Amino acid sequence: MTEVADVDRYTARLVKVTITWVLTALVLFPVLALLGFLMRALQAGYMPSVPPEWFYAIMTLHGLGMVGLWFVAGMAGISVLLARYVRPTIGVSWIAFAATLAGVGLLLAATLGGRLGVGWYFLYPLPFHSGGTWPAWATAFLFAALAIMGIGWTIWAGDLLWAIARRYRLSDALGWQYLRGSGTPDVPPIVIISTVSFIGVLAGLVAAVVVLALVAAEQLTIGFTNDALLIKNLTFYFGHMLVNITMYFGVAMVYEIMPAYTGRPWKSNALVAASWNLVALLVMFAYLHHLYMDFAQPQWLQVTGQLASYLISVPAAVVTIFSTLVLVHGSSMRWRLPSVMLYLGVMGWAIGGVAAVIDSTVMVNSRFHNTLWVPAHFHTYYIMGVVLMILGTVFHLTTELSKISERTVSTRAIVAAVGVGGYGFLLTFYLAGVAGVPRRFASYPAETAQGILYAKISLVFIALLLGGALVYIWETGRRCARSLAS
Amino acid sequence: MVPTPFAIFIASTLIILSVFGAVALSTRRARDVDYAKANRLRLVALASLGAVLVMFLALTLPHLPYAADARSPDHIIHAVGKQYAWSLTEHVGPTLETWDSSFSPTVTVPVGAPIEFRVTTLDVNHGFSLYAPDGHLIAQVQAMPGYLNRLRVTFDQPGTYTVLCLEFCGMSHHRMRGVVEAR
Repeated sequence: MTEVADVDRYTARLVKVTITWVLTALVLFPVLALLGFLMRALQAGYMPSVPPEWFYAIMTLHGLGMVGLWFVAGMAGISVLLARYVRPTIGVSWIAFAATLAGVGLLLAATLGGRLGVGWYFLYPLPFHSGGTWPAWATAFLFAALAIMGIGWTIWAGDLLWAIARRYRLSDALGWQYLRGSGTPDVPPIVIISTVSFIGVLAGLVAAVVVLALVAAEQLTIGFTNDALLIKNLTFYFGHMLVNITMYFGVAMVYEIMPAYTGRPWKSNALVAASWNLVALLVMFAYLHHLYMDFAQPQWLQVTGQLASYLISVPAAVVTIFSTLVLVHGSSMRWRLPSVMLYLGVMGWAIGGVAAVIDSTVMVNSRFHNTLWVPAHFHTYYIMGVVLMILGTVFHLTTELSKISERTVSTRAIVAAVGVGGYGFLLTFYLAGVAGVPRRFASYPAETAQGILYAKISLVFIALLLGGALVYIWETGRRCARSLAS
Repeated sequence: MVPTPFAIFIASTLIILSVFGAVALSTRRARDVDYAKANRLRLVALASLGAVLVMFLALTLPHLPYAADARSPDHIIHAVGKQYAWSLTEHVGPTLETWDSSFSPTVTVPVGAPIEFRVTTLDVNHGFSLYAPDGHLIAQVQAMPGYLNRLRVTFDQPGTYTVLCLEFCGMSHHRMRGVVEAR
């Protein structure tokens, strides 16, 4: 009886912290998306009186905010799903939440208060060369925010990994028993993917700590200057890892939730284990494709970048995407909002993945690097990929908790608006990228003036996308409120 | 003309949409899954994807943009970035101290001869990019503090080529420009 009461108390606390994460995400998502709309409106030339430093401050907030938001949303979603098998510490999730809130506050102050405009990967040494645009305290706030969130997220990832380690041996959690041919103990795919992901998170955060330490050393030590190429490698290693791990969280959710709708189990096997162990290895080298245009980087690293980027598509396509199709094909699929979002999310991941692999070709990157092709492909596997996976999972969980049944009209409105709005918006990015329109331009010069037209067209689609997102937020918000009340 | 990478992307997207659409439609009539057949199909998918990737590696890796020949061409242009301007000179580029006196945003190069741009920066990272008179991006390289990147370009057509910055560098990033006259 005591044990049952303990489980009930734990579940209630888990629901509370998860709903808090969800509500925070539901507030931040439309605000950050609106900033994206505002950026495209400025690029379309609709508000010429707004100074460019505001565009870049908004761009920084939008980028850092979205990357951070979907990472923590992914972590929170994975935590609650992992709790079916292991017991994460709920207090640690609250610590991560407090750290995230503090970081968000500092970033808001730095960007909106200090007009800090450094982009989401704040490429060294730009934060220290404001050209009179932002004050030194804004740079200090940026690094303080990164340090606080980094500490909070490291503890969070460490606790989740520890929760897994308390039940499974590390080799079993990585699925090596399937590779040895024994298959015992049986471990659900979400545990294997999460273990790979948390190790990746910790490895990425180590690189971030090194960057912060090196930057701090330069600021505090007279005569010490950092190597810009080293810092760039570390920064992209960290950034690429964080973004990819977020995607893996989404994919893990698909493995865990999709069987509830197809009526078919999705078990771990040697193929699943081999593919995710391969991903764990390759993701550490794929980041090199961010540095193709740094000709000083040794050529063998550039070739390694292309090889790793190509190879990493194999486990994704042949295992996860193919298995999703097998799972769904000819099944008694219950097409509800969560299953549609998860399915479309895998499709968006595939489409964005193709665009990413194309751009990871050194020869092509010479034409596409830092054009709008780059946000085109990462917005594809974010908005139409991992975001749909996470939002589908959230809707699944909150519908289960609240017992509110789904409204067909809302589901259709969300799917139509997000589908048409999302892909329409992305197509304007792709077309502009092919035309060589630069990314991160507050306004377009005559040579790339076609960017203005694409920005104008994109506004219609972003508005549609936002409309769909608002219907989703309303529906999920109702479910969160009911869940908390009950 | 539609560039090849975009054509490949659109074709791949249409295939993905068709496959996902067909699989979604297949759920209208439930049936048992034939795992043996699925695994055979997976092997075909693996072989096909592997073949495509190897083919693209073979086609593209011989065309890396990095200078293979250690000997520099006769025509060398020094490109130096500094928030928010490009200096383009035939002589060694300016330093922070000499920027005002020796900076030049315009340079003239011969048509049909290989040119080596030696690109660096005096402050933050910049992106040295060349846009053709018709607005298309023809080449680019990063400018990084403490490093000299060598970009080799042959201008086949005369005209005014614009240098834009393709690495975000601050408030006036979009206004940072230079001019290469090819004659």
